Amino acid sequence: MNKLTGLFFGVFLLFGVSWLAFAAYPYITFAGLQRTKDEATGALAPPGNPGTADQGARVYAANGCFYCHSQFVRDKNAGSDIDRKWGKRRTVARDYMFDRQVFLGTSRLGADLTNVGDRQTDPQWFYRLLYNPPAVSPESVMPAYRWLFETRAIQGQLSADAVKLEGKDAPPPGYEVVPTAEGKALVDYLLSLKKNYPLPEAPEATE
Amino acid sequence: MMKQAAISEREIQRGPATELGGLSAVDRSIRVPVLIFFASGVFWLIVASAFWLLASSQMHKPTTWWAFPGVAWLSFGRSYPVFLNCFVYGWAACAGIGAGIWLLARFCHVPLRSSLFPILAGVTWNIGLAVGVLSILAGATAGFQLLELPSYAAFILFLGLLMVGLWAVTMFWNRKPGPTYISQWYILGAFLWFSWIYATANILLTFAGAPGPAQPAINWWYVGSLLDLWLTPIALGIAYYLIPKLVQRPVYSYRLALFGFWSLALFGGWTGMTQLMGGPLPAWMITASIVAKVLMLLPVLAVAANYHLTIKGSFEELRWNPVVRFIVIGSMAYTAYAVEGSLISFRSIGQITQFTLITVGHNQLGLFGFYSMILFGAYYYIVPRLVGRQWLSQAMVMAHFWFCVVGIGLLFFDLTIGGSIQGFALQDPQIPMAAVSDLIQPFLIVQNVAVLLLVVANLIFAAAFALIFLISAPVKYRGAAVESSAEATNKIGSEVSVA
Repeated sequence: MNKLTGLFFGVFLLFGVSWLAFAAYPYITFAGLQRTKDEATGALAPPGNPGTADQGARVYAANGCFYCHSQFVRDKNAGSDIDRKWGKRRTVARDYMFDRQVFLGTSRLGADLTNVGDRQTDPQWFYRLLYNPPAVSPESVMPAYRWLFETRAIQGQLSADAVKLEGKDAPPPGYEVVPTAEGKALVDYLLSLKKNYPLPEAPEATE
Repeated sequence: MMKQAAISEREIQRGPATELGGLSAVDRSIRVPVLIFFASGVFWLIVASAFWLLASSQMHKPTTWWAFPGVAWLSFGRSYPVFLNCFVYGWAACAGIGAGIWLLARFCHVPLRSSLFPILAGVTWNIGLAVGVLSILAGATAGFQLLELPSYAAFILFLGLLMVGLWAVTMFWNRKPGPTYISQWYILGAFLWFSWIYATANILLTFAGAPGPAQPAINWWYVGSLLDLWLTPIALGIAYYLIPKLVQRPVYSYRLALFGFWSLALFGGWTGMTQLMGGPLPAWMITASIVAKVLMLLPVLAVAANYHLTIKGSFEELRWNPVVRFIVIGSMAYTAYAVEGSLISFRSIGQITQFTLITVGHNQLGLFGFYSMILFGAYYYIVPRLVGRQWLSQAMVMAHFWFCVVGIGLLFFDLTIGGSIQGFALQDPQIPMAAVSDLIQPFLIVQNVAVLLLVVANLIFAAAFALIFLISAPVKYRGAAVESSAEATNKIGSEVSVA
């Protein structure tokens, strides 16, 4: 009996410290994060996410985007992220306070997406990429996400969000390729990815 | 001859050797649950293999027909997590639970009164995982790495874990009085830690809706602990049993073994954050993980030294014993894995290797080179004792061994070299991402070949496992397969079949 009690205590006590530090501590402290207010402009940072972001994040997760794309910018002395123009400053905990789910990611087979909504502001760019990645970036090993689109007959006018496709990808005459609700949500989410506001704890990197 | 070793003494006390055909009372009582877990492990290993091959093909050529472009549920973003989940929660966990409960029953020397509980646990586990895997394929992932199973599936899995964990604790509680052995500690510790981390991570992340910035910390605390406090102690517990058993000598130093256990318990929970170097977490968290990764060398070296000194002098005689081969290669991979792990967690090296194929290769070295190799060894040792038959063909076992060694060797070196190139290229902002993709393309193709070798290895293993149930080995081979080499070289035939 003693052995079992000793084992239990030892195992739980030793391991419990890491549980406190890495699970309980962040759970409690990060729940108390507050926004900052810019004295000059009165703007709040971070500004918060558009209402559709959560829905798009579900699509992002369902299709496993985070297995190849990261969503955090390291400081200038900790990697080339800022030199690669993936962000003007490192990201900190507060940047993620409004995200229902955070996808930091641990692989960069693709580019970092922390500020992709800042780099690319045209939804069409995202649609064309998702429909056929090599059309936008010839060397890309990104798979195509055709199931986020549907090809349908044009009803009267061409839909506003019809994807502008060329060459082999172009739909037959009289048809158009439009994103599904999921496709739209995903692109809205990607467009919302911009952590480009200033935060006092993460000043912009200087040369 | 075997003085201090609790293990050998107690095994000898268990009375006269039985023939391989006749099972000991303990083995007979634990037979069905262990075989259920073992068979589930093999089944999931094959499912994992299929998705592994698919995912590694998709990585270098996403547009060909065999990458199934346009099929949502077979796309890389789903095939990859399905592979990982089948591998970790299907193969690794089922094999580990099977071997773990076999070891516990054996050491506690109590035949089970009823095997209903662990059998039910096995069924529950399989249902939970099947539901979870189908959900991932359908796009209903929970979206956290290695915690992709949605909450309902995770809950079923946890019920299964709880059943088998409670059963293990009860068994230990009711054991025959006498000294305990280090393997029991490892296995029991693994069950306790895994139940804890699995419950905590799932509750905090999905039910209690952890705040965004806390999620990565919890996620990677879980992943680090999963590798270091669930898979590792199971494999070490098995090796601590099999190595002394096969060389017929007690463990070199029991103190060293205890030191290894407690230092693992102390540092094992701290290692996960190195994945998030430079990430949006307080710096002390990452620093603590780096320190823990380096200190993890203590338990690793303690284990390595202990195995080495136990086996020293006998290795030449035993090198043809397949069980020894798998265990020795697995243990060596463990040392390599830990040394590499501490190297790539230094900030100066980590900032280059982080995000690259090196981390993939590193994880494969741990999951396949270390853990799976030891578990293969355990299968080769345990299954004949439960089925009462020899492995059908030694050639098959050897083929399995060589496909594993060449496959994992190729995979590791390929990903390490490719990952280094990728890391240095990523570090240079002048090289555009498309060019980085181009640079690693050949390495992704070689990865596909290496994965193919490992898939062949897994298929051979599955075939051998199926055949032992179907065909009784011809008499002339009996004793020529797995068992016999140990038997012949040790000239203690009786001891081998008791073991």
